[in-house]
Amino acid sequence: MKPINFIALVLFICGVTWVLTLSERSVRRIQQAYYATMAPFLKGGSSIETRARNFLEEIEHSKDLENQLRAIEEEYIKLRSIEGRLRELETENAELRRALEFKEKSRLNVIAARVIKRQPATWWETAIIDKGQSDSIGAGVPIIAPGGLAGKVDIASEDTCSMILLTDERCQVSVQVAGTPEVGILHGTRGRYGEEPRLILRHLSREAAILPGMKVITTGKGGLFPSNLLIGTVKEYTPGPVEGVALVQPSVNFDELGVVFIIAQKNEHEG
Amino acid sequence: MGWNHLSLLSLVITACIFQQFTPSFQSLCDAGILLVPLVFLCAAVTVGAGPMLLLAFTAGFLWDAQHVITPLPPELAGNPEVYDDPGGDVKFGYSIMLYALMGFFMQGLQPLFREGKWHVSALLAGIAIFLYLSAEYLCVTFVRGDLIISRTLFLKISFTALLTMLLCPLVFWILYRLAALFHHTISYEGLASERNAAD
Repeated sequence: MKPINFIALVLFICGVTWVLTLSERSVRRIQQAYYATMAPFLKGGSSIETRARNFLEEIEHSKDLENQLRAIEEEYIKLRSIEGRLRELETENAELRRALEFKEKSRLNVIAARVIKRQPATWWETAIIDKGQSDSIGAGVPIIAPGGLAGKVDIASEDTCSMILLTDERCQVSVQVAGTPEVGILHGTRGRYGEEPRLILRHLSREAAILPGMKVITTGKGGLFPSNLLIGTVKEYTPGPVEGVALVQPSVNFDELGVVFIIAQKNEHEG
Repeated sequence: MGWNHLSLLSLVITACIFQQFTPSFQSLCDAGILLVPLVFLCAAVTVGAGPMLLLAFTAGFLWDAQHVITPLPPELAGNPEVYDDPGGDVKFGYSIMLYALMGFFMQGLQPLFREGKWHVSALLAGIAIFLYLSAEYLCVTFVRGDLIISRTLFLKISFTALLTMLLCPLVFWILYRLAALFHHTISYEGLASERNAAD
């Protein structure tokens, strides 16, 4: 081995040892700095992506109109075009009204945020949202979406947050099967890719009276999540020798997670 | 360290930024394109062991900064009587070692690359991505427990490796352009000295 390569190897081993022995607080600071650096790119990219999508949709629409142009009168097409645009506005209006209504109906003090990015393919189920410490959001704060609980904040930087989705194994929630005394800890599953997400509910009684279709809600125990937030419905219950395990279908549609609501109950800023 | 090595370092950081915008394909079992590992693996075959280790450190550090889920501080982790599992994950920095291993793996084919057979290196980069993802998944499994191996998992890793491998020619083209820009010789260096010795 050349001396220079040997020196490089020694330096590399020292570097790796330093990184592996970093405290969790230091790692979180590094990750905060990383997300703060990436925030302008993420926001910029999200805006470009939205424009590109709109542009492609416009192209698609104009192709449709072109086909119709051969069959019907020009005036009729114009009217159809106007009608299409009105419908689009109507849908957008309805969506915004639903979001507003959701926010108004919620008993909790919530802050609306937009999901600007789902993380690319790895083993972690996370997303980036466009609100951060500047909106008094800190780590561990619960996040809800139309349908129920969606996850919690992991790393909060100045303008963005990384959230752990409920479908990740590391997002654990204390829950209860509604209408029964059964409580347990629920978390995401691994190994389901390109399929509908499922959640696993553990620590249930060995032979609990749990039937498919029963609602699962948060208990509020443990101090992480408020009580009575909907999680999903039981799909399957399996009694075991020590404890029962249930498969739960989440009530939130994680494939179309556009707007989420951060529960502003904790204001801790990280170090 | 020359300007070419610095340009490779910049390329890895640029790949990290572009990685933010790569989509995942739900119809292909959530497979995606892994730009950071790809750029690292392609760059690893064009440089010596020292610069490769520096690139491995940078790429692994950035990768973990983005992906690893660090446990919340105790005051935010909830009541330990309810949440008895602290919720830890793989240790920050583990990717650096995986990257270095894959880098050495790629360097094993340097003689072929120097002969101009970059397509063999491209194929090897695909295999390296497959191995990298498998190792990463096993690391996650080792820490979290419950070994879950499914058909969709295998397909996800395979499609990701395949999709990423398709971009290899583009990355090699950029590497050659950078080498030309900074007057760095990628090819034939080792072979020339070996042939001279043989003569």
